[in-house]
This record gives sequence, structure tokens and C-alpha cells, in this order.
Amino acid sequence: MFEDKILLWKFKCGSRDAFRLIYDKYAGDLLNLAANLLADKNQAEDVVQDVFISFVESIEKFRLTGSLKGYLATCIANRSRDYMRKKKREQIAAENRSGRTTPGVKNPLQSAINSEELLKLSHALTELPYEQRETLVLHLHGGMRFRQIAGMQNVSIKTVQSRYRYGLEKLRSALNGEVKKWDQRKILKIR
Amino acid sequence: MGPAENIENKIKKLRYETNAEAHRKILDNVIQAIDKREEQKTGTTAPDIWRTIMKNPIIKLAVAAAIIILVYAGISQISGNGANVYAGIVEQLANARTMTYSILTRTPVESMPTLRLEMAFKEPGHIRTTTADGYINIIDWTQNRGISIWPPERQYIDFESINTEHDPAKNSFLVVEELRTLPSRADEVLGEKEIDGRVLQGFRVAKNDMVNTVWIDPQTDQLVRVEIKYTNAPGMNTIMTDFQFDVELDDSLFSLTPPADYTRMEVQADASTLTEQDLIEYLRMWSTWTKDTTFPPTFNPLELPKITAEMIKQGKFGEGDTSEQDHSSEAMGMYRGIMFVTQLPAESNWRYAGENVQFGDAAAPVFWYKPAGSRTYRVIYGDLTVKDVAPENLPE
Repeated sequence: MFEDKILLWKFKCGSRDAFRLIYDKYAGDLLNLAANLLADKNQAEDVVQDVFISFVESIEKFRLTGSLKGYLATCIANRSRDYMRKKKREQIAAENRSGRTTPGVKNPLQSAINSEELLKLSHALTELPYEQRETLVLHLHGGMRFRQIAGMQNVSIKTVQSRYRYGLEKLRSALNGEVKKWDQRKILKIR
Repeated sequence: MGPAENIENKIKKLRYETNAEAHRKILDNVIQAIDKREEQKTGTTAPDIWRTIMKNPIIKLAVAAAIIILVYAGISQISGNGANVYAGIVEQLANARTMTYSILTRTPVESMPTLRLEMAFKEPGHIRTTTADGYINIIDWTQNRGISIWPPERQYIDFESINTEHDPAKNSFLVVEELRTLPSRADEVLGEKEIDGRVLQGFRVAKNDMVNTVWIDPQTDQLVRVEIKYTNAPGMNTIMTDFQFDVELDDSLFSLTPPADYTRMEVQADASTLTEQDLIEYLRMWSTWTKDTTFPPTFNPLELPKITAEMIKQGKFGEGDTSEQDHSSEAMGMYRGIMFVTQLPAESNWRYAGENVQFGDAAAPVFWYKPAGSRTYRVIYGDLTVKDVAPENLPE
């Protein structure tokens, strides 16, 4: 936190290098967080860019009270949620117009994952209700505590814990289901 | 990835690496936004809203009323219950532009006497500490520069430290920062207790490796005392008293310009290049200065000048016959050796036991620490050999 405070101070004094250091320090993790929340690499990049632009535009009034990483991660989560809401509204509008549901779009992020099992997990994660995915991703990738997530989602800690538990259970059963199907196929092949 | 692997760990492995091109694009766009903001700032003059408001008598009255309401609401909240009193103090600490207080630090180590300091802090990162006998340390953490002034000897040391480990246990600024960022809710309300003739209300809050007990005067809602215990250093405690907030502290108090007529020793240490060998060289050097070839009595950089002065008075050092150049190189060696120790993180569990140990005593451990990621400790003995020692075999 000390280092961040000094970097912020230098940045407020006009140092671009200080901002670059802040960016280099956190942009990778923030992109990863946004990508996991949105399941869309391009959109994740836009969200991260928007968050950093808002951050630099409000730097004069900004006062660091906790960790800078936590603050930026919260901004990413809020913007990602806004984006998902907008996307859902657009999707519903499109379905209403066409009278049919939008077919599942292949997650462009999944091409970046080599492991087959992780690929399945990534797919299963995108299938979760957004609140559950957000809870899992913020806790496991953003390092946020349930209390923080509860504050952000405006729900009780118990609700967050339930979302987390249900999310994990669904992922577990989704992966197990896949494994079972594979095993059956393998058995058939051997026969 | 085994089937038994926890699903949470698998999720953590879902990392989407972005290429350098994407990062560069984002960074360029953000830098452009900064440029635009700078242009707007210099191109237009912001209207002085406050002046406009205060010129209008009706708005002025409305503003005054709003301030009174806000102040009154604030006071009511603070006097409402104990938790709010504590929250008010936390806010005061966080918002203070300047702060002064006294510090008393006790350690269970016999060779490290109780340390009394007067601390002055000024935003954004200026620290001035003064020991009871006048030894002054001024650090500007915004520049990573500092000056140590030793009035009895009319000497000072300029120092600049690059890549210094930011460890709260070693860094005075971080201790202030820890205090200024206490959680707004206490873990435990301790109730009232009489301390130094005053009935105070106590709140306990744990933060990182420190357990803070905050004592507030319920009559005045003023912070009176903070006691800190360190979970990483059992037996060590710090007591802070005589708090004053937002008093006028002249910039000259934090000036890095040395007093006139003082002699100077300038040193610089890049912490990234400091090694165990720097410490060994320092120990070797010191043992050549003392008549009985013993090692330094302490490693506390604030106490060391005082103790050294005392040792000089007692005639414990040899005559010395060093050139100006040697003197400068020794000062640098000494600084690097001390810096190696001060930049060690708390997890290294370093311990100094060199007091009264003579150079050459191969059986006497002088210093030990655990390097990052190591399971064993590095132990430096009196003959300045080093061995890797398992934790269970460390000296008691």
C-alpha cells in the first residue's frame, strides 16, 4: 500500500512514469478478472481501459483508503456487471424481435486455454448465472472476501456464501457429467 | 491436473493471458486521456465557485446553515455510542494532514534498550523522529531520501535508498500508515479503564501482524493512547501517546538540508544489490575497530549512534589510522551492512546475538535469518563463517 500511495502521489504531481508503473503492476490481473467475469476478451480489454480512464480522470479527488488493487478490482466488477446487464437487455430485445432464442455463442476466450479440462470448466463457468460466476471470480481471482462481495452485490454475506456454494456445485456436476460421458464413449470404443 | 484437485484451484488456473499489443493499446489510450485532461486543465481556468458562493449573502447563509447542520450531526453521531467514538478517531487519523506523538518501544531483547521517540508526520510522506538525546532522523518517503543528524558530533548522513523493502516492522512511515488506516470498526470494545489518572475507553483491533488497543477519552472524544503488540515479535510492544492532529508543522522541520557546519557522509545503497556478504563485511569491520574485537552491541540503527558515542567515551575503540578515503568506504560498508538487515522482511525472523561475542569465536552464533523461500536459516558465527541450520537446531 505504501508503494501505491507514493505512486499515486507522484502521478497526481504529473508523473506519467508513476502511472505506467501502476498500470504494469495491476493491468494483467485486472484483465484476467474482467475476462473471467465477461467471458469476452475484447470486452474485458474495453472494461479495463474504461476503468483506467475513469481512474485517471478522477485522480485529483481520489484518496486511497484501502488497497489500490482492491479499488480497481471493484471498479472492474461494477463495470462488468453493467456490461452484462446491458448485454442481457440487448439479447432479450433481439429475441423479442426475432421470436427465437439467440444460439449459444462460442466463448472467444476459450481458444486461449490449452487444457481440455480447463476449457470445459471455462465453458461451465460461462453457463452459470452471472451472480454466481461473479461471486466465484471475485473471490478466487479478485481475492475479495465474501463481506466485500456482499457489499458490492448489495446482498447479505449468507447470500454470497450460497451463491458461491451453488456455483461450485454446478461446476463440479458439470465437469463430472462431462467425465461420465467421456468414460461411456471410451467404454464403447474399447468394446 | 488430477481428478482430486479442488475445483477452486482449477478456477484459479483459468488465466487468460493478454498479449503485449493489447496492453500497449490500452496504455496508449489511457495516456491519451491523461494528455487530454492536462490540456483541459491548462486551457481553461476553473471558476472559483467558493468565491462566487461567498459573495452572495443568501447562498452564504445557506452554506453556513448546512455546515452547522453537518457539524451538529457529526457531533451527535460521535457522542452517540462507543463504536462511533472509535470510528471518529479512525477518521481523524485517516484525514490528519499533520500528526505528532510520542512513541515508547520495548523489546524483550536485553541488548536493545527501551526506545523513546518523538514522531512528527506531515502529508504526503514526511517523517521526523527525534530520540530523547537529540538524534534526528528525517525521511521524505516521496523521494526515498533521508537525513540522519547527530548534533553531539555535529555530523549527518544523507541517504538515498532504492528498492527498499516496504516492511511495516522496519519502516517508520508504514507504522504511521498502519495507524492511519485502522479498520473503521473495532474487533472488541474493552470498556473503561483508568490509565495515568484518566478514565479511558478502550477498543481492540487487529490489523496485519499488529494488535492495536486504542484508548479514547470519552469526555473529550480525543485519542489518548495506542498500544501495539506484534504477533511476529512476542514481547515487543509500542505505546503511542501525546497525540496532536493538524497542528502547524513548519516545512523546515522536514528539510533534508543539513545544519550549517555539520560534516557530511553521503551513502547510497540499492537494496536490490545488498547481500549477506555486506553484513559479514560490516561485522568484520566493526570487530577491527573495537579493542577487544567484539561485534556491535545492537543492530537498532536508531540506538547504534548513541551506544557508539558511549563506547567512544569508555575508550572501547582502538586509535584507528584510516585515511579519508578509507573512512568513506567504511561508512558505506557500515551502511550497507545495516541496510541488509533493515530490509529483511519480518518473515525472515532475523535475530542478532553478537553483543560481547569476539571475532573468531566459531561456536558463537552472531546473526541468523531465514532467506525468502528457504526452509533453513543462515547462521553467521563469530568466525564469520555461515552455515545452513534447520529451525529446530537454531540457538535459543
